[in-house]
Amino acid sequence: MLKQLRIAALFAATLLLLAACVAAPPAAEAPAEDASMEEAPADMSGKVVIASGGMIRIGGSFALTGPIPDPGLNIRHGAEIAIDDLNAAGGLEGFMFELVAEDGACDGTQGTNVGNKFAADETIVAVTGGTCSGETFGLVPILQEARIPFVSPSATNPDITSPDCDVCNRVALSDALQGATDADFVLSDLGLTKVAVVHDNSDYGKGLAEIFQNNVTNMGGEVSSFEGVQVGDTDFRAMLARVGADAPQAVFFGGYSTEAGLIAQQMTETPGLEETAFMSVDGAYTQQYLEAAGDAAEGTYISFVAGADSEDMNAEFDAKYVEKYGVSPDDLGPFHSQSYDSVKLIAAAIMAVATVDDSGNLVIDREELISAIRALDAFEGLTGTIKCDSIGECGAGGVQIFQVADGAFDQVSGFGME
Amino acid sequence: MAPSRLTAQVAGVNGKTALRFLLRAFGAAILVLVIWRVTTVGLAEGYPASFWISQALNGLVLGGVYALVALGYTLVYGILFMINFAHGEVMMIGGIAGFFALQFSQARGWLEGPWPVVVVALLLIMLFGMAASVLIGVTLERLAYRPLRQAPRLVPLISAIGASLFLQYSVLLIFGVSPHSYRKPALISGGMRMGDVFIPYTGAIIFVTSILLMLALYFIIQRTKLGRAMRAVAEDRATASLMGVDVNAVIVITFMLGSALAGAAGVMLGFHNTVVKFNSGFVPGLKAFTAAVLGGIGNIPGAMFGALILGLIEAIGPSALGIPTEYKDVIAFTLLVLILIFRPSGLFGEVLSEKKA
Repeated sequence: MLKQLRIAALFAATLLLLAACVAAPPAAEAPAEDASMEEAPADMSGKVVIASGGMIRIGGSFALTGPIPDPGLNIRHGAEIAIDDLNAAGGLEGFMFELVAEDGACDGTQGTNVGNKFAADETIVAVTGGTCSGETFGLVPILQEARIPFVSPSATNPDITSPDCDVCNRVALSDALQGATDADFVLSDLGLTKVAVVHDNSDYGKGLAEIFQNNVTNMGGEVSSFEGVQVGDTDFRAMLARVGADAPQAVFFGGYSTEAGLIAQQMTETPGLEETAFMSVDGAYTQQYLEAAGDAAEGTYISFVAGADSEDMNAEFDAKYVEKYGVSPDDLGPFHSQSYDSVKLIAAAIMAVATVDDSGNLVIDREELISAIRALDAFEGLTGTIKCDSIGECGAGGVQIFQVADGAFDQVSGFGME
Repeated sequence: MAPSRLTAQVAGVNGKTALRFLLRAFGAAILVLVIWRVTTVGLAEGYPASFWISQALNGLVLGGVYALVALGYTLVYGILFMINFAHGEVMMIGGIAGFFALQFSQARGWLEGPWPVVVVALLLIMLFGMAASVLIGVTLERLAYRPLRQAPRLVPLISAIGASLFLQYSVLLIFGVSPHSYRKPALISGGMRMGDVFIPYTGAIIFVTSILLMLALYFIIQRTKLGRAMRAVAEDRATASLMGVDVNAVIVITFMLGSALAGAAGVMLGFHNTVVKFNSGFVPGLKAFTAAVLGGIGNIPGAMFGALILGLIEAIGPSALGIPTEYKDVIAFTLLVLILIFRPSGLFGEVLSEKKA
C-alpha cells in the first residue's frame, strides 16, 4: 500500500516536472513583448509628475563606505547643505527638495546597485554623484538608459564624460589636466626625470597613473616601473622593494588616502627609496592621508583639482557646515564645495524646465532636464563659475600642488599661485 | 549480473589510474613551466642579492603572521573537522582592541617613558588584544558552533561564514568605516640596516614572537596533560569522553588557544602595517587558511611551515616569475587550488588526527 502510494507520488512529481518543462519556453519569450510595450507610451514615462505637497527627489551616490568614507561623508554633507539652502529659499513653486542618499562605496558594483535603485524609482529626478570614478562608471549606463541626468562632484577619470553620454556631467576637473600638471611639476619644477608609477587598480587611480605615465614619457622622462596594488592592501614592502631596485628619483601614486599614506610610510623603510620624493593625487588630499603616513608625510607632494573659490561664499558655507555637523569641512575631505555646486546646478536646471500643470502637479520632462543642465547660463558657485560644455564638463578652477609641512598641506605650485 | 559489474569496476580502476597519470603529467608540466619562467625571465632581470634577501625577509614576516592565524584554523579543524571561517575576523578584533589599548596607553604617556615601561606597555597592549580575541573566539564557539555540533558538516561551515560577516559589519557599524591608525612608539619605529637590506623592528618582532608562540603551543600540545587531552579528542571524541576527558572544555580551550594566537597576530600586524579596519582580517584569514591547507590542515608543524612557505612565495614569487607584484594574491590562491588537486592532504599530511569523521 505504502509502496504504491510512493510510486503514485513519484509519478505525480514526474508529471509536474514535465509540465514545468513544457510551460517554460513561452515564459522565456515574454520579455521581448515587454520591451516593445515600454517604448509606446514615451510621452508619459518621460516625465516626472510630482503631486502637490510632494518632494523633488534628487538621488545621491556617496562613498560612505569603502576606501574613502570620510571624504564620501563630506560630499554628502555638502549636498545636504545645498538642499537646506534651496528649501530655505522657498524651494520651487512651493515644492521642496529632498536628497535620497545611497552608499556607492567607491566601487563599480555598488555603483551599479545604486544606479538600479534610482532607475527603478520613478520619483528620482536627477542624481548627484558618484564620489569615485569606478562607482560612477557603474552608474553611467543605467542612468543613461533610465534618462536620469547626473552631476558628479568628484569623479575625475577623463572617460566619465564623453560625447556619447548626454546624462553625464561633473563639476570636478578631469584627470587629463591633473596628470599633465603633475608630470610637468615633477619633471620641470622638481627636475626629477626617473619616476616610478604606482596605482591601486581602481578606475580612478589607474586611469590617473596612466595619464601621468604618458605625460612623463612624452616630456622625455623615464618611467622606471609601473606597478599596481589593490585598494585595501596594507603591506606594500614587496612591491616597493622591486620599485626601489630601479632607484627612481620620485614615486607617483594614483589612488586613495590610506594606501598613499602607507606607501609613503613604507618607502622610508625600503632600501633605495628612503630619500625618494613621493607624490600622490586628489584622492589622497585628506587628513586620512596625513594620519596614515605619520611622520613620513613631511615633504611629500599632493595635487588637487581645486575650484576657483570665492572667499565670501565659502566662508558662509563653512559657517553653516560647522554649525550643522560640528566639524570644519576640510577635516573630512576636499570635495564639499564641488558637491554643493553639483546640487545647485541640478536644482537650477530643474527650475528652468519644471512647469505646474492645471491640477497643481509639478511636471519635469526628463529629456528637457538633460539638455537644460548643459544649456544653463553660467552661475557663480562655491568653486567658481559653473557652466557646462557640450560633453558635460561644468567645473572651474585648476590643479594645485601641495607639499606637506609640519603636518599640514602647504601649496607650493599651481592654480591660484601665479 | 556479476561479471558485468566486475568489468565496470575494472574499467573504473583503469579510468582512475589514467586520470591520476594525466593529473601527474599536468602537475609536472606546471612545474617545468614555472622553473623555465624563473630561470629565463626572473633571474634575467639581474636583481642584486640584497634584493632577494629583502624580499625573503618580507616573506618571513608575512609568513609569521599567517602562521599564527593558520594555527587557529588547524587546531579547530583537528578537533572539530570544521573550518572556522570567522577566524580572520577574530584576528581583526584583536587588532581593533589593540588599537584602543594603544590609545589608552598613549593618553597616559606610557609609551614615551624609559624602555622597560614601553616594553611592558606593549606587552599589555598585546595581551589586551589577545584577551579580546579569546572572548570573541569562545563566544563564537558557544553561540555559533556548539549548537550545531551534531549537524551535518556543511552547517557549521555556513554558520562560520555568517559569523564572519556579522563580526565584520558589527565592527563597521560600531567603530566606523575609517581605518584606525596605529602610532608606533619611537622604540619600535625604524629598523636595522645591514648593507642594502633593511629590517623593520616590527617585522623582526613579528617573526621572533610568532616563533616563540608557536614553540609554546607545540609544548602545550605535546608535553602537557591538556595537550594530551586535546590530542585524544582529536583522535576520537567519543572514546576520549569515555576515558574521562571533558570534551566541551577541551574544545573551548582549543578555541581559546587559536584565538589568542590570532589576537597576537592582529595586534602585531597593526603595529607593522599601522592601519586596522573592519575588513582587515578577511584577506589575511583566507591566506592563513591557504597556508593551513598547504601544510596539511589539522597538522600543527604543517601550518607553521605552510605559512612560512606561503609568505616566501608571495614575496618572492612575482619577482622570480617576472610578473607584476599585484599578482601575489593570484599566486597564493593558485597554489591553494593546485595543492587541493595534487596533494589534498597538504605537504606534510594531516597528522593531528588520523581518523576522519
